[in-house]
Amino acid sequence: MLTHPKGIVARSELELIAAILFHLLIIIVPTFVLLFVTLGRTQSKHSKYDPETSHGVLGGWMLWTIPAVVVVSMSFITWHATHKLDPYRPLQSEMKPLAIQVVALDWKWLFIYPEQGIAAVNFVQFPAGRPIHFLLSADGSPMNSFWIPQLSGQIYSMTGMTTSLHLMADGPGKYTGRAAEINGEGYADMTFVAQSTSPSDFEDWVAAVKQSPLQLTETVYKELVKPSINHPTLFYSSVENDLFNKIVMKYMHPMATLWKISCLEN
Amino acid sequence: MENFLFGKLSLKALPHHWYTIGATVTIAIMALAIAIILTKTKRWRWLWKEWLTSTDPKKIGTMYMIFASVMFFRGILDAGMLWLQQSIAADSQGYLTATHFQEIFTSHGDIMVFFVTMGFFFGLMNWIIPLQIGARDLAFPFLNSLGFWLTVAGGGLINLFFIIGGHFANTGWLAIVPLSELEFNPDAGVDYLIWSLQLSGLGSLLAGINFIVTIIKKRAPGMTLMKMPLFVWTSLCAMVLIISAFPVLTATTFLLWLDRFLDFRIFTTGFGGNQMMYFNLIWMWGHPEVYILVLPSFGMFSEIVATFSQRKVFGYTSMVCAAIAITLLSFMVWLHHFYTMGSGADVNSFFAIMTLLIAIPSGVQVFNWILTMYHGKVIFASPMYWFVGFLSIFMVGGMAGVLLATPPIDFQVHNSLFLVAHFHTMIVGVALFGIFAGVTYWFPKIWGFTLDERLDKRAFWFWLIGFYVSFIPLYLLGFLGAPRRLDHYAASTGWQPFYIFASVGFVIILCGIATQVFLIIVSIKKRKRNLDTTGDPWNGRTLEWSTASPPSFYNYAVIPSVTSRDEFWHMKNSRRKPQKKHYEDIVLPKNTGMGIYISAFAFVVGFSLVWHILWLAALGSIGVIACVIILSFDEEMEYELTAAQIERMETSKARG
Repeated sequence: MLTHPKGIVARSELELIAAILFHLLIIIVPTFVLLFVTLGRTQSKHSKYDPETSHGVLGGWMLWTIPAVVVVSMSFITWHATHKLDPYRPLQSEMKPLAIQVVALDWKWLFIYPEQGIAAVNFVQFPAGRPIHFLLSADGSPMNSFWIPQLSGQIYSMTGMTTSLHLMADGPGKYTGRAAEINGEGYADMTFVAQSTSPSDFEDWVAAVKQSPLQLTETVYKELVKPSINHPTLFYSSVENDLFNKIVMKYMHPMATLWKISCLEN
Repeated sequence: MENFLFGKLSLKALPHHWYTIGATVTIAIMALAIAIILTKTKRWRWLWKEWLTSTDPKKIGTMYMIFASVMFFRGILDAGMLWLQQSIAADSQGYLTATHFQEIFTSHGDIMVFFVTMGFFFGLMNWIIPLQIGARDLAFPFLNSLGFWLTVAGGGLINLFFIIGGHFANTGWLAIVPLSELEFNPDAGVDYLIWSLQLSGLGSLLAGINFIVTIIKKRAPGMTLMKMPLFVWTSLCAMVLIISAFPVLTATTFLLWLDRFLDFRIFTTGFGGNQMMYFNLIWMWGHPEVYILVLPSFGMFSEIVATFSQRKVFGYTSMVCAAIAITLLSFMVWLHHFYTMGSGADVNSFFAIMTLLIAIPSGVQVFNWILTMYHGKVIFASPMYWFVGFLSIFMVGGMAGVLLATPPIDFQVHNSLFLVAHFHTMIVGVALFGIFAGVTYWFPKIWGFTLDERLDKRAFWFWLIGFYVSFIPLYLLGFLGAPRRLDHYAASTGWQPFYIFASVGFVIILCGIATQVFLIIVSIKKRKRNLDTTGDPWNGRTLEWSTASPPSFYNYAVIPSVTSRDEFWHMKNSRRKPQKKHYEDIVLPKNTGMGIYISAFAFVVGFSLVWHILWLAALGSIGVIACVIILSFDEEMEYELTAAQIERMETSKARG
């Protein structure tokens, strides 16, 4: 839940909520006070009754300026925060980000570790304190939204397209991730576990997965793509070469474009 | 051959689920009951001649409202089913399947937006706008009737799936792709949605054109644009939005239908289809639509607050500028509905700041309303209750809106119940409260007696408390990371108490609705006690109150000439000599059944395209075209009322 952030991105987002709320309350609280004063005043017999007064030129300017000032101030914050918290923007860290590719399938999540050559279904583990770079797509599934509320906001994962999300966990922990965009029958159960551990535990986990008897070959993948609900957690010790790009590029035919490929490389 | 004759239709489409059978039986019983009552009281002819074929905007307005009320009960039933499911579905499937649950929230959304909120607004505008601008009728009376009946045809189609088909779309109210593509939704449900929106969308477009022309061309002499009542102004803005935005909806859903029917690949996942384009297009219509729903409310509240504060609106020019600013800005913010698609920081920031700008005119309106009360002598009649309730809700909803407009925050609350709570705040708290206030306010004008004040205030309290009890938990659930549209969830999330709390709120709202039904019945029964003999029960300010309640079918025997804003108020206060009545012949539209015939054929076209029965669609289209041709040869669509006749009617009315 976003009220208990466990990562730098989610925490910044919570702080931003506080900052914007503060701005809003600057204007909303006096307005509510004015409303209650007015309601109270209408009950008293001594209040002045001016059926024809209007705000005049100066009052008119005031009326527009007060909200405008608040909005301009919020706009600066928004511009700054939107750029700082852009999910495409790599996080500042001395460590090299860990790349994880995510494929949304009907109705499960496939996580591929291109550097480690392993993969997992409905489970993702990564070292805490190291930036993670998720590269997301989907395979034939309707539009999906990838969301681990305690670590960062959501980003859509769409068939034939890739999106990016950078996040970093503060410390070891276990978080719920889920699909947040309606995508059919298995929508409610399309959840996964995201676990952050110490770097050494992560290495151990990778080594353990490497021992798994399952291998994500093209044939296995073709089975996996078929719709299923509440798919069990699986670990694959090897992954078909360049699987993620193949999944994305599959949908480019017959209109393969260089533009999309250049996007992938970024 | 069978394919040619029946398209995709087969016996399997007949009702076989508990809910489709239930709905079919209910519809049948209701239709039968109405038929029996009409036959017993020998009212068929009266119904046809006095109501169904009428081109009088006051009667069409009433029909819009009856239609919207019927649809409202359907939409509320949907809402109840959703609350119930979510209250019990922790660690269990509840009583609905996932698909059924998704169909219900889809139809709930479409019905509440297209048929209830828009239906009520068109009803109120039909009632009041001609009277407020000193006109006898809309610019195109036949088009008005046609627009209404097309809306009804759309509403019929969206309910027809109960009887034939059994499945509705499970895609959310906007039929988002690629979920609504054939690949994921092979049933006819999405086609029902598409064709229902095509028909009602066309109806709204015709009404929009009609009201714009009416407001521009048919104002009483002397009523310049800046002397128009604010309800007319905001309605004009909303209608401008309709004629600019609804063609986008029509085109977009039509493209989706091409995908589904002719295997086009416009929005599909493969073969060059572009899913994101659909989101752009549908929200390019969808965001203006939000303001189509709230702008008329803003105008009604401006009228109400001025009347009951017994003074003019504090800053009229500011209010007009605010409405126009909102109208223009509403076309520049659509992308804020999908920041999370990853458009990049520059694009997102641009749309975020555009969205924030809308807060300025909204704030100006709020200040203006409050200051109008501040300088006035406020009478707390029941429309004012709705108004103050609306103000408090509007400010809460506005804050939530600004939070949602900030992209990094949106990443966390998008697609969550926070979002659901926000737009319900706006549609219930602003649009619906506005409708309730407006109906209470203008009811005596059309029916000649006021609604029961005590019961209306009681209904208000139920609605206000029920609203907060149901939607505050949803805001909190959003902050707890609960996504929208979940048919079940794990009990370990701890969400269930919030869902149950929200359901309690729904029950309170139900009490409010029951009170309103009771209110109508009691008010009709006791109408003798609440008769409005003056035509001006609230000490009103604008022209509609200068007529009798109810006004004659020709509205004004003599078209008033206007010299100031709040013309009627000044007329009363300056003790100006009443204009000498010089009657002239007037031309009025005749009743016509053509609107019904054309809409019935359009309904057939929609139905047959849902099921791919092409010969029937061709027949229906020929029917529509034939009707239009026949209509174009009808040279006697109007009749004349002579000055002598009017004088006779006016004097007999004056004598009572």
